[in-house]
Amino acid sequence: MAKKDLSIKYLGVDCLNPFFLSSSPVGGNYDMVAKCYETGWGGCFFKTVGIFVADECSPRFDQTNKEGLPWVGFKNMEQISDKPTEVNFEYIYRLVRDYPEHITVASIMGSSVSEWKQLAKMCDEAGVKLIEGNFSCPQMTSHDMGSDVGTNNELVESYSRAVAETTDIPFIAKMTPNCKNMEEHAMAAIRGGAAAVSAINTIKSITNVDFENLTGMPVVDGKSSISGYSGAAVKPIALRFCTQVNQCEELQKMVKGGKYDFGYGHEMSGIGGIETWRDCAEFLAVGCRNIQVTTAIMQYGYRIVEDMISGMQYFMDERGYNSLDEFIGCALPKLIPAEELNREYKVLPKFDDKKCIGCGRCYVSCYDAAHQAIDWNEKKRRPELNDNCVGCHLCLNVCPVQECITPGEIKWKVRDKDGNAVREAKNPAKIKFKKNAKKDKSLSLKEHYE
Amino acid sequence: MSKIVKGKYTADAVAGFTHRTAMEEAARCLLCHDAPCSQGCPAGTDPGKFIRSIRFRNVKGAAETIRENNVLGGSCARVCPYDNLCEEACSRCGIDRPIEIGKLQRYAIEQEKLFKMKTLQAPKTKKPGKVACVGAGPASLACAAELAKAGYRVTIFEREAKAGGVLTYGITPARLPQAVVDHDIAQVRGLGVKFVYNKEVKAADLEDFDAVFIGAGLWKPSLSNHGFKGAHLKGVYTAIDFLKEARTKKKDFDPGKRVIVIGGGDVAVDSAVTAKLLGAEDVRILYRRTIEEAPANINEFQYALSLGIGITTGLYPVAAEGTKTRLKAVKAKGFYDKAASAEFSADTLVFATGQQPEDMSKIAPVKLDPKKGLIKVSKGKAGDKFFAGGDIVNGGKTVVEAVAEGKEAAAAMIDYLEKKGVK
Repeated sequence: MAKKDLSIKYLGVDCLNPFFLSSSPVGGNYDMVAKCYETGWGGCFFKTVGIFVADECSPRFDQTNKEGLPWVGFKNMEQISDKPTEVNFEYIYRLVRDYPEHITVASIMGSSVSEWKQLAKMCDEAGVKLIEGNFSCPQMTSHDMGSDVGTNNELVESYSRAVAETTDIPFIAKMTPNCKNMEEHAMAAIRGGAAAVSAINTIKSITNVDFENLTGMPVVDGKSSISGYSGAAVKPIALRFCTQVNQCEELQKMVKGGKYDFGYGHEMSGIGGIETWRDCAEFLAVGCRNIQVTTAIMQYGYRIVEDMISGMQYFMDERGYNSLDEFIGCALPKLIPAEELNREYKVLPKFDDKKCIGCGRCYVSCYDAAHQAIDWNEKKRRPELNDNCVGCHLCLNVCPVQECITPGEIKWKVRDKDGNAVREAKNPAKIKFKKNAKKDKSLSLKEHYE
Repeated sequence: MSKIVKGKYTADAVAGFTHRTAMEEAARCLLCHDAPCSQGCPAGTDPGKFIRSIRFRNVKGAAETIRENNVLGGSCARVCPYDNLCEEACSRCGIDRPIEIGKLQRYAIEQEKLFKMKTLQAPKTKKPGKVACVGAGPASLACAAELAKAGYRVTIFEREAKAGGVLTYGITPARLPQAVVDHDIAQVRGLGVKFVYNKEVKAADLEDFDAVFIGAGLWKPSLSNHGFKGAHLKGVYTAIDFLKEARTKKKDFDPGKRVIVIGGGDVAVDSAVTAKLLGAEDVRILYRRTIEEAPANINEFQYALSLGIGITTGLYPVAAEGTKTRLKAVKAKGFYDKAASAEFSADTLVFATGQQPEDMSKIAPVKLDPKKGLIKVSKGKAGDKFFAGGDIVNGGKTVVEAVAEGKEAAAAMIDYLEKKGVK
């Protein structure tokens, strides 16, 4: 296979690939970041630097698991860097100097306009090509910083402005998902002069309750606190926020023709539960031009980037893409409001009796949680679909056998004058749609899923 | 060169699950609607239910499901031929390999012990009926537990100094640790069942009881009937004596350097494994028929093989040679292949060629099978106030089948006592 080029321009900066470490313990000093670059990461959002130096607690992590599978979700209680500001900037300066092809991004957090300005100036002096503003850490010990700031439009705008007035380096505002409407806060940042936003930071959480100490976990000297949740469990939430921000027309208009419009519209950096090349491809598909990862590195180490690079190249080769730009944002037009979905369309599940092992999970779930559309043939130990089926595909989702239950026959609702669905038909008027559906299926990423 | 597993006589042959690995295994379970595993157990254990309990983090509930159904749940978890029963029925076989049901059962029972659970409770007010069980093996223990749960006063008579029967005296501890057996027996004792040890039961001993269960097992060795010569030599054992002596003396038992075990059943494998684990250098199982015909579970043969034990088929012993004090050699001939013959050097020869019943009509007016001497029963009933189950009825099957028969007899006994209106 010819190696595909994964290089990409992000906010005018040439990147070897879009895979970056997100601002966190995985990129907290010179040696760590140097190692991650050697391993293949395109860049690193260095652990957030502030004038405030964090005093951390112990222990500070917890995880959720399901059926013995660890790290479904991960909780951390760390704040920003616990090293002095000057020490961090010295690391950043050396990384920028020693690894000119890799992009060391300074992540900063101030508690006042003057602090933000002071930090932006230091970034300028360190020679970084990008700055990220941390408006989103949910476990800061000061309410003048972190996600409390990120949900306050005035502060987001004024701090973004403080940076933009100090330096020309593109500024990325990192958004918190602990909000009602991220587009609002993203627009406040752009209004203040930010080039783009990144999302999501961690979600406020209590992962588990400890019944010995009667508090949450982790237990810090008998007590615990709400703090940020990340990992695979949050990916769907992150994809949703990235989609919403990128689909926000008002925000795209604000970017268009501005100082940081490099011809791609808003250049989002996507973060949240990314572990594989496929996760990366999904964030790119909803319009992100940069990818940030931490939790998977905490679990597996920097080496995971090797399969991100290789897997992404195979994917591009298989689909005939020659550059990432060819598919960035490709899913955005087809992500539509629920009211616009074609509700005439229904796909019945198809059961492969030969693959079926007779576990009856489809029967149980359909009866207890759907529409009693599956009868259980006790003799044969096989499911039999009846006329109650609404095509919800719960059966397909619970079936443990690969490709045993698959999407089958397509039916179209036929409505009476009052708009009530009275029967079903193979509507010839919709054949065009059906063809598309088939084409989509042949292009599905299913094989990579398994 | 094959890598040989080194084991210790009293150490577990297989490590159990931890919380994490048990959950991983339980997560592989498909939680079937009509779990076929639950229909595959002779004793009616419901793996579908107890694995679901483990999956939903209710390990105590899992232990309860197992224990309430099978008082010997801990021992069965170790010695059941799962691959022929519940695991063979497992739906997951259709995808890759079955759930390790036996190991999950072992895990649940280990947790029961860890949490010091007292799952089984006997009613506080006892019924007036007095019941006796002859023998403290699996069938009797299962029968006694059912009767005690129903409120009857139960006495178990045991000829040996310890309870358990084959569990205690017949199986190698690497496969079934004594602590596991003792934990199961403690559940029976916890129900108020009285144990009388070192007691050879006579007919008169049973007169005072309203109902009697005979679960005496098979303890009379049946030696090779092919005109074997030299059975009197020192170093020639029956499997029962060999295993019993090993379990009593443990490390102090010297099995000899070269050991030959005759037979193709689980007892033969257990004897060979015992000899190997106690330090014998060269251990060989000699079986006259083919592996295919051998009654032992193939997993047990594989375990023996992994320890470096040889399995030689097609030969049966015809004579032992040696001096008065010591066995020196064993001569064998082909069973199917008449041309075959062999001579082996041996310090020890163990006959694991099956066991026979003792004459039970001496202690109870029961009908015996004229050929084999086994007790004839109908759903556990052996006539009048007598009931029977286990090896003495079925001629030597699995522990789980003995449990099933003990339970069945207990139900018949409760029915009998109720109808009789014992006051």
